[in-house]
Amino acid sequence: MTMASPNCWRCLARPSQRLLVPTSIAGPSTTAAFTTSAARFAGERKEAGGNPLSRHIRSGKKLILGKKRHKGDKSSGKSVGEGERKAFRKRITLSNNNALDVPGLDEITAENMTDQAAVGQVMGIPEEVIDQLRIVEAFKPTQQWGLFRRPHMLIRRETVDFVKAMTETVARKGTFRSVVTGPRGSGKSMLGLQALCAGFLNKYVVINIPEAQDIVNAHTEYATIPNTNMFSQPVYLIKLMQDMYATNKEVLSKQQVGLDHMHLPISVPRGWSLAQLASATKEPEFAWPVFQALWKELLLPGRPPIMFSLDGLSHIMRPSDYRSPSFELIHSHDLSLIRLFVDALGGKTHFANGASIVGIMTKGNSLKIKSLEKALEQAAAAQAGLKIPPRDPFYSKYDEKVFESLKGVGIFEVNGVSKAEARALMEYWAASGILRMRIDEKNVSERWTLAGNGVLGEMERASLFPLRL
Amino acid sequence: MPFVLGVNFHEKKLVKKALESFYALGPQTSARIMAKYCIHPLAKLGTLPAKTVTSLTAELSTMTIENDARRLVQENIKRLRDMGTYRGRRHAMGLPVRGQRTRNQISTARKLNVLERGGGDRVRNS
Repeated sequence: MTMASPNCWRCLARPSQRLLVPTSIAGPSTTAAFTTSAARFAGERKEAGGNPLSRHIRSGKKLILGKKRHKGDKSSGKSVGEGERKAFRKRITLSNNNALDVPGLDEITAENMTDQAAVGQVMGIPEEVIDQLRIVEAFKPTQQWGLFRRPHMLIRRETVDFVKAMTETVARKGTFRSVVTGPRGSGKSMLGLQALCAGFLNKYVVINIPEAQDIVNAHTEYATIPNTNMFSQPVYLIKLMQDMYATNKEVLSKQQVGLDHMHLPISVPRGWSLAQLASATKEPEFAWPVFQALWKELLLPGRPPIMFSLDGLSHIMRPSDYRSPSFELIHSHDLSLIRLFVDALGGKTHFANGASIVGIMTKGNSLKIKSLEKALEQAAAAQAGLKIPPRDPFYSKYDEKVFESLKGVGIFEVNGVSKAEARALMEYWAASGILRMRIDEKNVSERWTLAGNGVLGEMERASLFPLRL
Repeated sequence: MPFVLGVNFHEKKLVKKALESFYALGPQTSARIMAKYCIHPLAKLGTLPAKTVTSLTAELSTMTIENDARRLVQENIKRLRDMGTYRGRRHAMGLPVRGQRTRNQISTARKLNVLERGGGDRVRNS
């Protein structure tokens, strides 16, 4: 053990020597290098009372032992307001002025989304569609929009195939029912966003449930629906109707109310437009009847096609966290909004004007649900014309409701992108000034391989993660 | 400021917390009451319609909670003591009742084993 020294351990020079060390270089310096030490020294000397001998005593930090703290010790930071943390966590930034503008890129239109020539191109989202997509919460906080000057998307082969199949089916007034699956980070939600984009561009009535988990995990109000064994979620429905009004106003305001809604608690005259009906109520009690009326109106012949999309399909394929008055768990399909979606997806609802019902699976945040897996397997086999795999005879907990809801759906598998598409995307990143590397055959190939044969989420992680804010 | 069973709560208080602040009403019972009136677990008192708040009060007033429940416990202890049982005596002395050693670690018994178990009337801040 050594004796406690009166001097600082770091300054091993003798005190007398230290006096000789000049505190600053006299005279103006010839070069103006970037440094912060002058300002730092100035502050230190003031705190130390101007005594150069005691400069080694670091001010500002003091160890306080014991339970009692003085009032002055409390950090003077402002407390975070209600909802601020969540708002910060969920914020969507769609532009970045520091990123370079990439000139010469086309904008997405209804036509070029179904054009095979557009495959492998990066295209911008039109301004008005950006607003609509933002309102329906199609942009996710986990996506990297905030790194670029303007939102652009890679049009991949799957996009064109999906959107083409969708628009063609809807154009002949059919119902396009599809479930998008694929490994984690492969761009399922992105494909959903592109489908929504196509829906807006083709003037469908777009209804989007951005996160299915939010409506089944018992975080929003629920209420019984009289004379049924179903439950409505009034607060969520009102928000959904407001979103519908804000995004589909142009389409809905051209349509007149065509039915007598005698049972509604509010009076709906025939002269009203559907937009007025969508914005008719803010009362939680009336939310479900009004939404139901709006849905019935939309199903009448001669209306625009409907696009109903839901992200996080696996969350609604199990009992929800809500409890019925008899304290039993409510199955997600007994929540009225989800029932509406599931009936549409399972083909029980007849759409006279064509419709696109899209359920998007989630892999990052989902449970293993055996019924869902088996139902998807069977649907995929039926689609491919193969022998339908039977259920496991030793598993008794298969959920009939899940099989009902996925009867005859199309399965759309999303996997990694091709190398050409990966190259287009990396060139866009490089042109935005975000990826600082040569985009050549070798580098693209390397990233593509590292990302599990072009899984886009992994490619982003490898390339953009260091820049994420 | 919603009143539930004569107690004034803040609007931002969780319904679950408000219910569980009553003596002899725990997580099980509160979950059942909330399910009965279709109140989701994260609901706050301010968001409930006035109708539901009154029916909650009506529901609570039929239950054995608060002073009724306290009296029940206290009567049980009193009965033991009046009979002159060992358990009654241990209660009166504030010592462990069920044969635990008393050399150390009896603070729970000191806290709980009193004749006036459960304290007097409710004192709390909403």
